[in-house]
Amino acid sequence: MSGSPNSASEAAPAPASPAAAVEPSAEPLNVLIVGVGGQGVIMVSKVLALLAQAQGFQVKQSEVHGMAKRGGAVFSHVRFGRQVWSPTIPKGEADILIALEWAEGLRWLPYLKPETGIFICDTKRIVPPFACLNRRPGAPLRYSRETPADVISQVGEGYAIDATQMAEELGNERAANVVLLGALSTALRFPAADWEQTVAKFVPKKTVSVNLDAFRRGRAWIEEARVVTPAVESRAAEAPAPADPAYRVRLDIVAAWCKSCDICVKICPERCLRLNAERIAELAEPEKCTGCRLCEWLCPDFAIRVHLEDISAMAADAASEGAPR
Amino acid sequence: MSIDTAAAFDVTDYLRKQMMPHFLCPGCGHGMALRALLWAIHDLEIDKDALAVVSGIGCAGRLSAYIDANTFHVTHGRPIAYATGLALARPDLHVVVITGDGDCLAIGGNHLIHACRRNLKLTCLMLNNEVYGMTGGQVSPTTSQSRLTTTTPLGNAEPHFDACALATAAGAGFVGREVTRHVPKLKELIKAGLRHEGFAFIEILSDCTEIFGRKNEMGSSPEMMMRQKSELRPSAYRDTVDTPFRANDLPTGILARNDRPEYGAAYRSAAAAARNGAR
Repeated sequence: MSGSPNSASEAAPAPASPAAAVEPSAEPLNVLIVGVGGQGVIMVSKVLALLAQAQGFQVKQSEVHGMAKRGGAVFSHVRFGRQVWSPTIPKGEADILIALEWAEGLRWLPYLKPETGIFICDTKRIVPPFACLNRRPGAPLRYSRETPADVISQVGEGYAIDATQMAEELGNERAANVVLLGALSTALRFPAADWEQTVAKFVPKKTVSVNLDAFRRGRAWIEEARVVTPAVESRAAEAPAPADPAYRVRLDIVAAWCKSCDICVKICPERCLRLNAERIAELAEPEKCTGCRLCEWLCPDFAIRVHLEDISAMAADAASEGAPR
Repeated sequence: MSIDTAAAFDVTDYLRKQMMPHFLCPGCGHGMALRALLWAIHDLEIDKDALAVVSGIGCAGRLSAYIDANTFHVTHGRPIAYATGLALARPDLHVVVITGDGDCLAIGGNHLIHACRRNLKLTCLMLNNEVYGMTGGQVSPTTSQSRLTTTTPLGNAEPHFDACALATAAGAGFVGREVTRHVPKLKELIKAGLRHEGFAFIEILSDCTEIFGRKNEMGSSPEMMMRQKSELRPSAYRDTVDTPFRANDLPTGILARNDRPEYGAAYRSAAAAARNGAR
């Protein structure tokens, strides 16, 4: 490989541009943009691609789309340089990884160049349905537990930025992608004015000013963060520790009212009910019960009542009862 | 903080416990419909003393007996007529009519259309199980074509009534339909009906498991109930080509809504004007 694309050292000293700014040399520069459908991943990549093209580079962009309305994982590869052959970035070859969502950022980390790659990630958490497979009340989410500090220590240069919060403060949460675009802009040697012009071209007319503010905000944040040590803001840092469910489920079944219709047994999503020898409904596997109440709602005989008991409150009661008078 | 908003509702608070267990067959959908009604009453914080339930004859008609409120079990087909008198005399009450498909559309068909036309504030729940279950499983006005009943041993040849279309055409202010399988959705529909100022007609598609289901070999009660979800859904959401449970695919949800003047209020203001004029 013909050296690092981090050509700051070879290029003429340019104090105006940030120290870490990278630009394509013989090899194309690889930027990977990832996020969740609807966040504006494609928009970020289009701005970048258009800008790179306007600067005279050959650009190839490859994306997954159609997930926008479905909250699915979206990624976009942007490669530009004097000559680009393949439209996709191989693993471990991305110079810059921009993530609009925290877990998506972690998912794509292996694509980042070890040592020299720049990782810019929004700390926004969008918890996908498959992280909530345990339906018991209070069950821990299976969302990534890594804190920004953990991650940033592993990458060459990393920034965990609460872009969504910044955009919200500017009045439009949806401009979070442009905050990240601002952050990205500091890592490349394109003039800020060109960036702003391209952004303005892409966003709806009504939101031009908020988006330009968002862009400047992201740019300023990174420049500040570079002076200080990689600043880590954090909602992600406050990721709750996995806890045991604080609730216990109890089913009261009135045997005299049950008519053995079998509806509760068949409707239970956890399959934890059965008819006993007398053909009366009973909770066979209490530990599986999530307390969803389907059996209670669909019992035509009003024989089932679901109680969710707060274990912590019970423990407190027991403690106070047991206390010496 | 409670994670469970449904916890506050205990159906037994609204039942006459000395009457339980109820007389309905195992798996009968009417029990779920009754729960949805009581849940709606609970959600709207309607006082039991401010609730009057009027019901006719039939399996559905018997439901009023289990409700711990003011209840009237009246003559066949006439619950709407009784309820009309009650609602006019006591506008402070929430008057709910529980009726069956035969009770409402055959014997009481005339009362239904005129109640729709008049638009008096009443909530009418028609529990449609496609059959006269209590009297041995005779064909009813809503029995789907080709279905077997004791009086149609070769399959029903008559087309069935679409009760919601009838009520809409007759001018009901609020018309809705839901299946018993979706109890929380049904509850929300009943709530909307109870809030409506005018005549609210709600058709509840229920299952007669012992009489109708057995005769037509529709499987066990859970299987019949599952069919409501797999086969009976709004036409907009139909993505399978299977034969629907009912002969047609019926839309559910709120089907018609208008704000025609409510009859009771109009009647009272006319009466007041007449009284003042006489003085």
